[in-house]
Amino acid sequence: MNPGVMTFNVLCLAVPFSVAILLAALGENFNQRAGVFNLGCDGIMCMGAFVGFMLPYFLKAGPMAPYGNLLGLAGALGVGAALGLLFALVTVTFGASQGIAGIGLQMLGWGLSGTLFRHFVGGVTGVEGILAMPIPWLSRIPFLGGVFFNHNPMAYVAFLLVPASWFLLYKTPWGLKVRAVGTHPRAADTMGINVVRTRYQALMLGGAMAGLAGAYLSLAQAKMFSDDLVAGRGFIAVALVYFGRWSPLGILGGALLFSIAQSFQLSMQVWGIKFPYEFAVMLPYVLVIVVLALARKARQLGPTDLGKPYNREMRF
Amino acid sequence: MKTFFKAALTAASIFGLFGGTAKAAPPASKVRIALIVESTVDDKGWCQSMHDAILSVQKKYGPNLVEYSHSEKMKPVDAGSAARQYASKGFDIIICHGAQYNNLVTEMAGVFPNTTFAYGTSANIGPKNVFTYTPYSEETGYLNGIIAGMVTKTNKIGNVGPVDGGDSARYTRGFMMGVKAANPKASVRVAFTGSFGDFVKAGELAQTQLKDGADILTGSAQQAIGALRAVAATPGQVLWVGQDTAQLNIPEGSRVIAAAGYNYAAVVETLIAKRAAGVKGGESLPLQFANGGFNFVFNAKMDPKVLTPAIRKAVEKAKEDLTSGKLKLDWKAIKL
Repeated sequence: MNPGVMTFNVLCLAVPFSVAILLAALGENFNQRAGVFNLGCDGIMCMGAFVGFMLPYFLKAGPMAPYGNLLGLAGALGVGAALGLLFALVTVTFGASQGIAGIGLQMLGWGLSGTLFRHFVGGVTGVEGILAMPIPWLSRIPFLGGVFFNHNPMAYVAFLLVPASWFLLYKTPWGLKVRAVGTHPRAADTMGINVVRTRYQALMLGGAMAGLAGAYLSLAQAKMFSDDLVAGRGFIAVALVYFGRWSPLGILGGALLFSIAQSFQLSMQVWGIKFPYEFAVMLPYVLVIVVLALARKARQLGPTDLGKPYNREMRF
Repeated sequence: MKTFFKAALTAASIFGLFGGTAKAAPPASKVRIALIVESTVDDKGWCQSMHDAILSVQKKYGPNLVEYSHSEKMKPVDAGSAARQYASKGFDIIICHGAQYNNLVTEMAGVFPNTTFAYGTSANIGPKNVFTYTPYSEETGYLNGIIAGMVTKTNKIGNVGPVDGGDSARYTRGFMMGVKAANPKASVRVAFTGSFGDFVKAGELAQTQLKDGADILTGSAQQAIGALRAVAATPGQVLWVGQDTAQLNIPEGSRVIAAAGYNYAAVVETLIAKRAAGVKGGESLPLQFANGGFNFVFNAKMDPKVLTPAIRKAVEKAKEDLTSGKLKLDWKAIKL
């Protein structure tokens, strides 16, 4: 096959592969920028995937069927925000260990979504889901059109959320508050910023985006739900925030790099290149670990109060 | 005379491989069977096939003679406690459905010598109270390969595998042999996700295969349903040959030309019969067409322009040859 065509195919596939981790990582960035890291991102994605799937699944035979996907997305956003709120309650109000609470949330989301699915649906089944929507004119641009403008609408939304996140974080008063409570909450408190409320808002927003990421998997990517649908992608999203140095643009780069590696390793197998597949499937993960190790100084760019509960009555 | 010879050979195979004795007879007393699986019993794949088989045996003999219980989502580290519970409660036969349970079963077999344990895919001859079972999946792969080879127009055929091991490895190689026999010009793009249960990754791999020009795909293990979903979501005449007959009965089944299925009922009945005869283990039970271990179903709703009489005839011929032993597949000779 022509190397140009091979490159084109790898890039075309990498874009939709990147959407779920990009959405979740952008949401996790808000959490971490506010000083809270949420390892439960994976569990929220599970619940988002479940709710996103369930609504169109149940509505498919009724008069609301045309709105099933939209309602599924809205439901996923809602359940994600609700779980973000729960996480905020546990970590911000009660001051629980963020790591342990995150693992608990991951297990809750994974277990609850699987249990509810078994109860309400039963076996593996699918929905029509959200179909690809090539953008007129733009999708016809040679090479770039196919790579960027021939995808699911959620992919466009995810990529538009990159500049939107950047704008929200760096160009709005609320974004300044988020960064302030993650960097120096006591100083922010002194300046009149409500640390608790800001962290709650950031966690709910992050949760909603993780829920949306899950819904992308069930509604746009797989068009089905199963217990193991998310398969640890939430943890990749958390790693991507470090990888991207807490910058939406950096996260986009990380998500694309991971997805290109994923697409490349799958393509490499399909092309019949003699390379042990056991190593090929590891490639994207190894790449993330290597880059994280090389970029250890990036930690200095992160929110300095990340992971620490804030209590205005206590001086550390 | 030839037909009689084939029938006699088949009967002899069934007798020899599954012990024959009293296989069709109902159990003399109540048999308690437990199943432990790593996925779920409705996964439209590996675990469901064993679950359905036990249910069919239970239905055949009635719940008064066959009691059944199962545990799902059991990782090998968790499965030990479940197996111990079942054995302590007096279950007669405990089936741990997966080669990953090898060590667990071997350990439990020593602790509970009166319980019959079974696990597969494995050809190990285990302790005296452990049976193993091995689907000779190269046979079903071969039939699917014939279909794929005859149907493809691009001469590019995709295989979405979980890992290159166990019955997946046999299925993949049998599939390649079938394609080659039917259409030497076609190439099979073999790729693995590295996971049995990552549906999204299986879908991504299927998309990669389709992008590369494949027009017919196959896949094995429970993850294959993700690949089938990707096939179903692709416009145009992109088709699938399946390794589980449950795939025919879902909406995506409209893209499935045919599917093979494990008939584990034969294994379950053999376990019951062997135990009743005093044999608690120490044998490996193969699943083949010859002993009724597989079934193969064409999609009745498939367009006859796709599933032509010539394809049906070629598949039936190959199935007949496999059943009679005329066709033997040296799957180990195929190098990826």
